[in-house]
Amino acid sequence: MRDVTRREFLRYSGAGGVALGVGGLPGLAAAEEKLKIGVVYVSPIAEIGWTKQHSLGVEAIKAELGDKVEITVLDNIFMPQDAERVFRELAASGNKLIFGTSFSHGTPMQKVAPRFPETAFEHCSGIVHLANLGTFEAKYYEGTFVAGAAAGHMTKTGKIGFIGGFPIPDIVGPANALLLGAQSVKPEITCNAIFLNSWFDPGKEKEAANTLVSQGCDVICSMTDTPTGVQVAGEKGAWSIGYASDMSKFGSGKHLTAFMLDWSRDYVGAAKAVAAGTWKPEVRWDGLAAGVVKMAPYNEAIPADVREKLKQLETDIGSGKVHPYTGELKDQDGNVKVAAGSVLSDPDIRGMNWFVQGMIGNLG
Amino acid sequence: MRYRIERRPEPSALMRVAAPAIATLLTIIVGSVFFAVLGYDPLATLNAFFVEPVSSLNGLSELLLKASPLILIACGLAVGFRANVWNIGAEGQLIIGAIAACGVGLFYPDPESFLLLPLMLIAGAVAGMAWAAIPAFLRARMNTNEILVTLMLTYIATLLLSWLVHGPWRDPAGFNYPQTALLPGAAMFEPFDYSYRLNSSIFITVIAVVAMWLFADRSFLGYKLSVSGAAPLAARYAGFRESSAVWTGLLAGGAAAGLAGMAELSGPLGQLSPQISPGYGFAAIIVAFVGRLNAFGIVLGGLLLSLLFLGGEAVQMSLGLPSALTRIFQGILLFFLLAADFFIFYRLRRLAEHA
Repeated sequence: MRDVTRREFLRYSGAGGVALGVGGLPGLAAAEEKLKIGVVYVSPIAEIGWTKQHSLGVEAIKAELGDKVEITVLDNIFMPQDAERVFRELAASGNKLIFGTSFSHGTPMQKVAPRFPETAFEHCSGIVHLANLGTFEAKYYEGTFVAGAAAGHMTKTGKIGFIGGFPIPDIVGPANALLLGAQSVKPEITCNAIFLNSWFDPGKEKEAANTLVSQGCDVICSMTDTPTGVQVAGEKGAWSIGYASDMSKFGSGKHLTAFMLDWSRDYVGAAKAVAAGTWKPEVRWDGLAAGVVKMAPYNEAIPADVREKLKQLETDIGSGKVHPYTGELKDQDGNVKVAAGSVLSDPDIRGMNWFVQGMIGNLG
Repeated sequence: MRYRIERRPEPSALMRVAAPAIATLLTIIVGSVFFAVLGYDPLATLNAFFVEPVSSLNGLSELLLKASPLILIACGLAVGFRANVWNIGAEGQLIIGAIAACGVGLFYPDPESFLLLPLMLIAGAVAGMAWAAIPAFLRARMNTNEILVTLMLTYIATLLLSWLVHGPWRDPAGFNYPQTALLPGAAMFEPFDYSYRLNSSIFITVIAVVAMWLFADRSFLGYKLSVSGAAPLAARYAGFRESSAVWTGLLAGGAAAGLAGMAELSGPLGQLSPQISPGYGFAAIIVAFVGRLNAFGIVLGGLLLSLLFLGGEAVQMSLGLPSALTRIFQGILLFFLLAADFFIFYRLRRLAEHA
């Protein structure tokens, strides 16, 4: 029985292969044909948050290239089993540029990309690159360093609180930079950190924010996909720092700033390059200088001279004059991880799985 | 006018056959109105939902790939459900099965051994059974509620998985991201064809369906279980031990879920990450009931749920329907299906008006 099945599969797959080959040809010849782009979101598009910022990138493609492109969007695709099917189907149905927007899309994209060598794959927050798979990522830590400096100026208790989705390097690193930014103002500041093990769990996040406030934290930074942390902080009279989008309207006037993400350059750039036939897989990792990370307008409650200093800090980080991870840096146990005068290397930043001294909490 | 719901003295033979047809018809009518009101062409939408996903060989392969774990787990669960043993923790048993199988796959000394896959298979099934043995022991010995224990153990399994992939089993070459290394080739099921994802693990499901049918409809133990479920007092009177129903029901569910976890790992996944199942363990409960706890009903139920899922993606892709709308439509279908089933055993009767 198995033999028959296998033979049949081979027969049909041969036909499928021919169909695919033929389907691939018109793409080369047609200059006027629309560029088909597929985008896969990890969650539904909400009013704010991670996926919203990606959808702004897609809007930017539409604004720039108008009816020269045809965009197919799928949302709420998280599990790798489902993602692989979706990427495969997008590629098979003629999309020449495909975006994955979550770390969990990585392994599926690595499996699908080699089968569709004519298709360009762009993976946000990916770590693996192939001949037709490029990645783009933001330097969140530049934003949290500036936000941390704002927190350092505004805290009275000397304690700030951090809520993270998962204890992965992309979250642990920015948490460290938040504290380092605050310590650049007042070296004795500490930071309590809590991980939810979920990107979207308003119930748990509310509990975490309440815990942090009752521990004495008077600035709360929440790096998840909800405005809950900002909301709870506002209700409790604590300052807050938003992530991904400007969350000031949720903060009861206590929203200090937010480190926002703007992927439009990545989306438009890739679409134009594929349309022009010049696309190459790149490793893009940008922050304040390129505008991928942006600070939301500072709260008016921050003194004007401090606001000026923060803007200067943005410029200095952008120009490379200030590096958030400049030594000497020690871990929680007091071991020196970065010697005085040197800075943490890029691979070490992307793999950061340790807390700097002054962080209170565990990675787990 | 007043109506009353009352139990039919005999299950209705007509409704037994007609229920799925009525449910389908009502879903098509309500769904068409629903899509039309929202400005989508009903015919095109229904076509995209039910026909497009299975109109290619790849679509069929994906349908079976998605249905396979649902059917496998539902078969195991139905053994217990027939005896009123409520294992709702198949999700946790699936996770433990995948963890055990991955442990073998990662740490077996010879990564190219042809023994690797069979060993993982055994590890997955045994681990799933061991996880289910905890609630079985507690229920049989201490009369603990197995609904609570199986559900709670699911959270423990999830946290254990999270700890492993964040800690000791983390891929050393993976930038500290929470996932294990990819399993070696010998630890993976061979796809029938490399253009598609369907793999030979589907035969495990086929065997499970046949075994479930033989066990439930043809074996004495299966008969005893059904009696315990339908009439516990009669079963006790006949000398059937309740604890054997508890053990059999939970271990069957655990083994099936553990195997399903192993098959996901050695099939579409290839590695562990903090979330490995899109809720197969819970969806399988729906499959078991849509399939009326019968082996072949479960096959149809699993295929239906799987098709609903693929259809939901297809309408997003071809018509741009938001995923929330597709889930409402899926809910409508399941509602009508279960509601129509209700009328096999119950009927509405008009009450006489009293003067």
